[in-house]
Amino acid sequence: MIDFLLNFSQTTGIYTFMNSSWGWPIAESIHFFGLCLLIGTVGLFDLRMMGFANEISLSELHRLIPIGVVGYLLNVITGTMFLSTAPDQYLYNPAVQSKLFFMLIAGINMMFFYATTAAEVKSEARASRVILRAKIMAAISLSCWCAVIVCGRLITYYRPPYHWCLWC
Amino acid sequence: MDKLETLARLEETPLSILMRESGIAFFSSLTLHSLGMAFVVGINFAVALRLIGFAPRIEIAALSRFYVIHWYAAALIFISGTALLLAYPAKALTNPVFYIKLCAVVIALLISRRIQSTFSNKPEVSIDSVSIKLAYLSIALWVITLTAGRFLAYTHSTLLASRFY
Repeated sequence: MIDFLLNFSQTTGIYTFMNSSWGWPIAESIHFFGLCLLIGTVGLFDLRMMGFANEISLSELHRLIPIGVVGYLLNVITGTMFLSTAPDQYLYNPAVQSKLFFMLIAGINMMFFYATTAAEVKSEARASRVILRAKIMAAISLSCWCAVIVCGRLITYYRPPYHWCLWC
Repeated sequence: MDKLETLARLEETPLSILMRESGIAFFSSLTLHSLGMAFVVGINFAVALRLIGFAPRIEIAALSRFYVIHWYAAALIFISGTALLLAYPAKALTNPVFYIKLCAVVIALLISRRIQSTFSNKPEVSIDSVSIKLAYLSIALWVITLTAGRFLAYTHSTLLASRFY
């Protein structure tokens, strides 16, 4: 796995860019910019579903979600750049593994939301019927994204080999 | 006493040593700083995007209600940022990038205050060209803040403290 990721990084030029003078901080800046876009769109939508700023129409606020998707894509691209450039520092890092776990939970929660609840939430007339389910999903979503930020910050603290993951 | 000596004395205070040597103190401050920043910048981006023309049917006055969370998050940034500064004062205060970040944050927060006072609880107020310009400026300043924040770790020239993370 490590060899595959390093080979990918080297053949695509990512490795050279990331090891240039400003490659790493530029990628980190874009990564955090993406997270802010996510919190500013998905996070606010979650807060609205939880009952904050009730006068805002959920269907209108949902129009900002594509910007959050752009933020998420920026995170995936820059996250792949980090992972493929220093796979030994990320693959075995418990903070990265926790971060990926919370991203997985957020993703499953989002799919469940769009499959069962989104249509009713966006329809003002039917929104009151799903208010509790929507609130729970919003709380899970917001908690997961906050946990993703926390785990992301802790990556440098749990740097291998001093904090090796339990199952490696 | 020169500036560096003053900073060295500051680094020898019990609070500075605690911030530097306690993993919990340092990384909880770092984590809270990132969380606060994500909410402050995120809310400012949402308001700015609305002012620029995204999701035009959202009432800007209603969206301004999120500024309540924004100011709590801004307070969190200030407290955690002060704690982080106490850990390595010489490292930050001798780096020009730190002052770029500080200036960008202060101006961006003043713009937030201006936008909030213009639109909060005033649904009748329409978006003028000044507000749109302020929205673009706000986005630019928050991008500068985020970038300067990340570059701080890579651009310092002075490091007096004896223990690092």
